[in-house]
Amino acid sequence: MVIGNIAAMKKTNPSFLNGVPELLVLRLLASREMYGYQIVEEIRTRTGEALAFGEGCIYPYLHYLEAEKQVSSQRREVEGRNRNYYKLTARGRKRLEELTTEWNRVTTGVSLLMEEQHA
Amino acid sequence: MPDFIKPLRRRLVELGCPLAQVRRLVREVADHHEDLKQAALSEELSGADAEARANAQLGDPLVLAEHLMVVLRRSSWWGRHFVIGFGVLPILAVPVLWTLFLMLGLSLEFALGFGWDWKKLHVAADNPVAFHHLVLALHGADYVAIALVTLLFCWLARRSAVSLKWMVTSCAICSLYALITWGRIEPHSFTLGFTISLSMTQQWIRAAIPLLIASAIYILRRRTTQQFHEKVAG
Repeated sequence: MVIGNIAAMKKTNPSFLNGVPELLVLRLLASREMYGYQIVEEIRTRTGEALAFGEGCIYPYLHYLEAEKQVSSQRREVEGRNRNYYKLTARGRKRLEELTTEWNRVTTGVSLLMEEQHA
Repeated sequence: MPDFIKPLRRRLVELGCPLAQVRRLVREVADHHEDLKQAALSEELSGADAEARANAQLGDPLVLAEHLMVVLRRSSWWGRHFVIGFGVLPILAVPVLWTLFLMLGLSLEFALGFGWDWKKLHVAADNPVAFHHLVLALHGADYVAIALVTLLFCWLARRSAVSLKWMVTSCAICSLYALITWGRIEPHSFTLGFTISLSMTQQWIRAAIPLLIASAIYILRRRTTQQFHEKVAG
């Protein structure tokens, strides 16, 4: 399932996944600052490859989050490579809390319904 | 720089991506490509194979550019709701904005010319020469107001990276309103209104302002794009 490709998202991902990319990116950046490639790889590996951003498609998302002041970025050299590192801001942390609450509410509701049907 | 960067950059510019965004996106995608290549090299692939795999993972640069633009456009309200923003909203907002900008312009002229003194204004209205200057001041403020409303929508269109046709649509709506609205000054009175009489030269001049702005922006954009390509190629 590709979540970074918005054009494909309409066809492949149900609408309830809207907001998931934002949640995942903010959640990852809550633990440490990262650059684009790292975020894509972390999402792929930590979701057991169930979710993946289209390669390269994460950057407009990150720029959007930066414009919304949820993340900030800094270009710097690490181990001979220049990269843009992104980190969460106070506003991003607040947004993450909101999205996490909403996500927990939805998944709890869906789980209850699914359990009911299996019972 | 990898081979796919050039077509990616070109396509982003063609799709109307702001140039500052193009530079940043291209730089980050190039970094991403390098990371993919390094990952392939760490799996002991040859340089050429690593390059080929990184290219394959990023896919067709033209398709990637389209995807980047879709995400970019969806990241702003104006980009997501371009039909409402540039097709419907101008129909409702242009007369209001024009009135607002015109009143602001006239207030500024009143402040600068008469120091907010109504008595001086009335004296000027009774003097034919001074009154002629008042008429010219009204025309000036009117033209500036029309230009500002048009420029506002053009700026929003550019900022949200929507296609050129939506910028032209909002300019056409501004032009239509400029054709049918008017502001008139007579000694001791000032009125604003609508008309469907198209016989006045003044109305056609007003209508031409948004179209001239649209044309100027189109030419400027083409020239900037060309210069950007030449600079990159050089």
